Amino acid sequence: MTDVQARAQLTPLLSNETLARVERLRLRPNRRLTNRARGEHSVGTGGATIDFADYRDYVAGDDIRYVDWNIFARLQRPYLKLYAHEEELHVVIILDASSSMASEGKFERVRQLAAAFSTMALLGTEQVSLFATTGTGERPTTLQSCSGRSATRLVFEFLESVSPGGDSTIDTAIASALRVHRGRGIAIVLSDFLTTGDVSRSFNLLNSAGLELFALQLLGPNEIEPDLTGDVRLVDCETGRTLDVSSARDLLDLYHEHRLAQQTWLSSQCRRRNGRFESVSSDNTLESILFETLLRRGWVR
Amino acid sequence: MNWLGFSAIANAWWLLLLVPLLVFYFLKLKRPRVEISSLVLWQSVVNDQRVNSPFQKFRRNILLWLQMAVLILLILAAMQPFVPGAAEQADYQPILIDCSASMGATDPVTGRTRLEVAKERVFDLIDNLNPDQQISLIAVHSSADRLTEFTGNRRILHDALAAVRVRDVRSQLEDAFRLTQALAKTAPVESAVLFSDGNIPDKVRFALPFLVNYQQLPAAGPNAGITAFNARLTSSQDWDVFLRVESSADVSGQIVLLQDGQQTGEQPFVLGSGESQQIAFRVTSEISTKLEARLTTGNTQFDSLAADNVAWLDLPPARPLRVYAAPQLDSFRRALTATPGVDLFPKPKQPEQRSVPYDLVISDESADEELIAAVHFLVGVTPKDTESLVEPSSALTKFLDWDRTTPLLRHMQLRDVEIADAVQPVGGVDVRDFEEAGYSVVATGSNGPLILRKRSSSRLTFHTLFHTSRSTLEFRVAFPVLVANLVQLVRQEAAVGDVAGVQTGVLPAVDLNAGATYEITGPDDTLQTVLADETGQLRGVTANQVGRYRISGGDSEQRSIAANLLSSAESTLTPVSSIEFDEQTVAPADEFLTTNRPVWSIVTFLAFGLLLVEWWFFQRPRTRHPSQASAPKSV
Repeated sequence: MTDVQARAQLTPLLSNETLARVERLRLRPNRRLTNRARGEHSVGTGGATIDFADYRDYVAGDDIRYVDWNIFARLQRPYLKLYAHEEELHVVIILDASSSMASEGKFERVRQLAAAFSTMALLGTEQVSLFATTGTGERPTTLQSCSGRSATRLVFEFLESVSPGGDSTIDTAIASALRVHRGRGIAIVLSDFLTTGDVSRSFNLLNSAGLELFALQLLGPNEIEPDLTGDVRLVDCETGRTLDVSSARDLLDLYHEHRLAQQTWLSSQCRRRNGRFESVSSDNTLESILFETLLRRGWVR
Repeated sequence: MNWLGFSAIANAWWLLLLVPLLVFYFLKLKRPRVEISSLVLWQSVVNDQRVNSPFQKFRRNILLWLQMAVLILLILAAMQPFVPGAAEQADYQPILIDCSASMGATDPVTGRTRLEVAKERVFDLIDNLNPDQQISLIAVHSSADRLTEFTGNRRILHDALAAVRVRDVRSQLEDAFRLTQALAKTAPVESAVLFSDGNIPDKVRFALPFLVNYQQLPAAGPNAGITAFNARLTSSQDWDVFLRVESSADVSGQIVLLQDGQQTGEQPFVLGSGESQQIAFRVTSEISTKLEARLTTGNTQFDSLAADNVAWLDLPPARPLRVYAAPQLDSFRRALTATPGVDLFPKPKQPEQRSVPYDLVISDESADEELIAAVHFLVGVTPKDTESLVEPSSALTKFLDWDRTTPLLRHMQLRDVEIADAVQPVGGVDVRDFEEAGYSVVATGSNGPLILRKRSSSRLTFHTLFHTSRSTLEFRVAFPVLVANLVQLVRQEAAVGDVAGVQTGVLPAVDLNAGATYEITGPDDTLQTVLADETGQLRGVTANQVGRYRISGGDSEQRSIAANLLSSAESTLTPVSSIEFDEQTVAPADEFLTTNRPVWSIVTFLAFGLLLVEWWFFQRPRTRHPSQASAPKSV
C-alpha cells in the first residue's frame, strides 16, 4: 500500500472496500434485549414509529387516538392500530488481549473483527462499548459507550491503540467489563478461549446482565493443526509453564478430540443462554469470516 | 523342526542393547522447546488416562517399535542366520569331484557336460558356505589332486573349481580317499562328499574312516566308443587288428581304420544298449606303421563322449620273438620250439651271445640275470635280496593259491603239482617281508611263497623258488600253458607280435638317451619337460588327454606315442549302483545335497527397508484431521 493509499484509508484495520461492505451489515440478535431508550431496533408493537405493525381489540383504557376509524365504520367494532416499537441496543465488545492472542495474527484479526462489529453497531445507532483484557489484577482497557457514525473514529483509534500482552483470562475480563457496563444488548466476546478458568460463570453473568452472548473463537493454524513430532517441551507463552509431551504426533488425534470437545462445550454453553458460538482460523481472511461464515451463520444480516 | 540356525549365536548378546535403548527412550533428557499460545488443550491431552498409562504410551510409540525392530534385525543379521540344508554340514568338508573321461559326456538337451553340472552344484555349496565351515576340493581322476587346502575363502575355492577340467582317463578312487584320509589328520573330517557320474570302480580297496556322501549326477546321453585296440602279428608281415566297440544305447555306425593317414578299412557296427562288438581288420606291414581308428555314428544319433571315438595304435616292425632258454632247461626249450613266432637261443652248435638283447630269458642260473631282456624267468633262483628271508627245505610242498588274474598264471591248474626241494621262509618271515623287498607273491605253497614277481625300471622278472625239474609241473598240462602265457606276456611287454593301444594316464617308458632332457608336446599343445634317467628311459610322462604326444630333444629323432581312453567303464556310461569299500558299501544319496542357506542378507535388507519405512513415517505429508476435512477454515 502506498503512502497515498494509506492516507486515504480511514483505518488501517479495515480497507475502505471492506468498510463499505461492513457499513451495510447489521447485527442480528436472537432476542430483544434492548434498552427502553429509543433506538432503531424494532422490538415489537405498541411503539410510536410510523411503521404499522398489527391490529388488536380495543379494551377499556386504550388511547382512542389509535382506534382505526375506517375499520370501526365498516365493522362497527373498535380495533386499535399498533405501530412498531424501536429501542436502543447496547453492543459490548470484549477483546482478549492476552499474550496468547499475539501469535499467528490472532489479535490482528480480533481487532479487525471488533472494528467491523463496532461499525455495524454504530451505523445502526447502537451504543457500543469496548473492553480489552490486560494483566491480571489490572482494569481492562475500556472505550465507554458511544454511538453514532461520528464515534467510529473513536472506536478505530481505540482498537489501533490496543496491543496484546498480559495474562488476564477472558472470564476475568468479562467480569471486569460487567462491573462498569450498564445496558442490555449483545456481548461479543472475541478470544481464543484457551483459558483455564470457568467461562460458564462468565456467560451466566452476561446472560443475567441482559446481554446476548456472541462468542467468536479465533485459533491460529498451529492451534488447529499442531506441527509437532517426537518428544517436545511445550512452553506457555503467557505463564511460561512447561509441559513435556512424548511422541507428540501420536497424540494429535487426542489433541483434536480435546479441541473439538472444547468447542462443542463452548457452543453448548452459548446455546443454553440463547447465544451463538463460532470458531474460525486466524489465517482466514476478514472478508471470508464476515461475509461468508458469520453471514451464513446468521450473526449479521 | 529346526527351521533356522545361527552361525554366530554369540552375537545375540548384542540384544542387551535393547535395554539402553528403552532406558534412553524413557529418560530422554533433552527435548526441543516449542512455545505455544496455551497449554490448556495439551494439558488435558496429557492428563488423559489413555496417555498416562505407560503401556499405552509404549504402545503408541511407533518410533520406539521401529527402532527396536531395526536393532533386532541388525543383531539377527550379525548372528548370521541360515536355513539348514538337508545334509548335515561338517566344519571341515572335503569335496571329491570326479573329472575322469566320462564326466565329459554331454547331455543331448542342455549340451552341458556332467562335470559342468557337478561344478555348478559345488559352486552352490561354496556360495552357501557357513563362516565357520571350510572346504577342501579334490579332483578325482586316474589319481587324485588336492586343489585347495581346507579354506573358507570363496575366491580361492571358486578359482580352483573353475580350473577343473575333464581328463581323458579312467576313474581311480583309492588315491582320492587316501588323500582325504591324509587331510583328515590335519582337520576333523567327519564326512566327504563325492560328486561323480557313477562310472567309477564298484570296488575300492580302502577302509573308510569317515562317512561318504555319494552324489550321483544324472545320466548323460547315449554313447558309443572304442574300448579296446590291439594287434597281433600272424605272419612275417601280417597283423590282425582288433577293436572292441561298446555302446550305452541302441546305436549304429562305422569304424574307419587309417594306416599312416590312408584309409585301409571300414566296417559297420550295430549295437544294442550295453552291448559290445569286436571288429577285426587285416593290416600288412613289415616296417613300423601307425594305425588310427575312427568311430562315427549315424547322422541323427547323438554321441555324448568324443574322447573314445578315436584310437591310435603304433605297430612295430614285424619280427620273431627272441627267447634265450638255458640249454639245460630241455622242457622249456621243447615247449618253445613248438611255439610259432619264436626265435630260440642259443642255437645248437652256435656260440652263446650274451651281449645281444633278448625279449625273454629263461634260465636257472643267477648269472643269466645279467642278460639284456624285457622279461626274465628265473627257475629255482632265489633273488639275492631275499636270500636272508628263505632257507632250503627238503619237504614236499604244493601250490595252495595263485593269482589267476596275472597274465603268467592264467588258465592254469596247479593244485596237483608236487614240489620238492623248494626254499621256505625262515621263521617269522611272511609275505609282507617279500613285498617290502619289492617283490609280489603271485603263487603261494604250503610252506610259503613259490613264485615272485618284480617289476623294475626296465624289466619284468619272475623267480620260481623251486626248480621245475624237481617238481611234477613239467609233466602237467599247466606247463605248456605256462610257457604260452610267458610268450604272450613277453609279446606284450616287448611289443613284439602283440601290441595293445596305450591308455591315458602315464605314457609307457621310452628308451632314449640317458640324462637327456626331452620336451613332450601333448595333443592340446601342453608342454612337459622330462629328464631321461640314467638307463636312458623316459618315464612318468603324464598323458591326460587322448591324442598323440610328440617327444623331441636330446639330439635324437622325434618320436611320438598315442594315448587312448580305451576304457569300458568310461565309455559305456553305466553308473555303478553302489561303491563297495573294504568294510562298508556306499550307495548314491537319495536326495540332492542342499546346504545351509544364509539369510543374513535378507534380514539386512529387511532392516534397511524398515529404516526407509521409519523415514517415510516421520516425513510423510501430514494428513488433515477428519474434523477438518469438511470445513478446513471455519472450525
